[in-house]
Amino acid sequence: MNRMKLKKMDVRIKKIKKAAEELKELSGGIQAVDRNASRILASVKMLEINISDILDINL
Amino acid sequence: MKMSKKGFENYWNPIVETLPLEKMKELQLKKFKNIVQWAYERSKFHRKLYQEAGLEPGDIKSYEDVARVPKVEKAMMRDIQRKDPFPYGDALCVPLEEVTEFRQTSGTTGTPVYQPDTWQDWEWWAESWAYLLYAQGYRRTDRVFLPFGYNIFVAFWAGHYAAEKIGCEVVPGGVLDTEARLLKIQELKATAMMATPTYVLGMADTARKKLGIDPAKDLTIRKITCAGEPGASIPSTKQRMEEAWGAKVYDHVGATEIGAWGFECTAQPGGLHVNEALFLTQLEDIETGEIIEEPGRRGKIVITALDRMAQPCIRFDSKDVAEWSKDPCPCGRTFRIIKGGVVGRSDDITKIKGVLIAPSAIEEVVRSIKGLSNEFEAVVIKKGDLDDITLKIELLPDAEGNREAILNQLRDQLRLKTNLGYNIEVHPYNSLPRYEVKAKRFKDLRK
Repeated sequence: MNRMKLKKMDVRIKKIKKAAEELKELSGGIQAVDRNASRILASVKMLEINISDILDINL
Repeated sequence: MKMSKKGFENYWNPIVETLPLEKMKELQLKKFKNIVQWAYERSKFHRKLYQEAGLEPGDIKSYEDVARVPKVEKAMMRDIQRKDPFPYGDALCVPLEEVTEFRQTSGTTGTPVYQPDTWQDWEWWAESWAYLLYAQGYRRTDRVFLPFGYNIFVAFWAGHYAAEKIGCEVVPGGVLDTEARLLKIQELKATAMMATPTYVLGMADTARKKLGIDPAKDLTIRKITCAGEPGASIPSTKQRMEEAWGAKVYDHVGATEIGAWGFECTAQPGGLHVNEALFLTQLEDIETGEIIEEPGRRGKIVITALDRMAQPCIRFDSKDVAEWSKDPCPCGRTFRIIKGGVVGRSDDITKIKGVLIAPSAIEEVVRSIKGLSNEFEAVVIKKGDLDDITLKIELLPDAEGNREAILNQLRDQLRLKTNLGYNIEVHPYNSLPRYEVKAKRFKDLRK
């Protein structure tokens, strides 16, 4: 796994995060959207722990 | 960090699980700074603790600075809880309405400590377990049976969610009694199980005596993950479990306030890997507090959960005693290994007749002797000014003919392994207390 591939994954993780956050903004308070988007964000955090955070160090 | 795709299959996350230690420490330091900053800004408890120590988050600049951060003990958490924001008190770092999970410690050492988690923290709990279950060979093809009471104690809850995350089929064996659980395992041909060592042995006993089932031959459990007690890292207890079930038995170590921070892998290297991707773990000299980096020297484990947010666990004094192993693991993980697992607790290790002893040493001896049942009890009292220790044991019914030889072997081994002489009491088979979850087999009545 090279750094380039990690970066590509990180870009997609950020896109998922942005999409989930935008869903919450657009929902107008619909709980079925807000709460499911929050769950997606919790999973996104696990992707950040496993992939994105590693980009903070010199591999 | 080059690895063929083929090499990925043994790891949950091959990138972090094979990271060189120096790189791992770099990553840990960055995350440690973040969690300290997070807690300082949001938790009155942590801010006060750090301010009283004259420390600000910005003062942490190097890995060595980690040890400057004050430790947190369980008793400190007890003191701040049962207050607003109720019931967690001043260490809560998120609005109360973001807490989705409540668990509490078992209360073995005092008033239970409450543990709030957000859904993200709960995902993180499952993530920490996913690392360990994957390392123990759990895969999508497994049907995993969980014979534990799903209640306020964290126990195997995260194991359930982690097995789901891996893609296993999970069978919750919650309120069923032991016999019903065994029959369900048989009916469904479950392949893996999670339980305390005491219960693993107890289930095998019940299977043979009450159901006429030999777990090793009649059931299909081939891997068992243990927690809650040190038994799966005690070679003689592990052997008894593996023989009884015809399965590989793997240990894991964790705590409600910390998370699942250490695990045995399928290579069974004689110790537990520390999950260094999620936890910053340090060994401290029990007397001086000096950080121990070299293998072969025992210290207590001080641990930080790097990504647990609702109630952060920063430099938590686990009281667990361990030592680093000098040997790398054949599994290829670079996560360091604590040799022989957790060898005791700093508050359990006690002096009897002037000799330091960990209760697990007695278990190791009793379980190594064929002819003795799994149950025993050690009781320490004061007779005048002198300590007196009695060991209650049971002979297996078919071992009565070898009684004297077995007792002589027991006395010799106890003397050799614990440097103590014991009053040995032989009790009728099946008369000592049986435990379903965590056992209390060492009773110090001097206090």
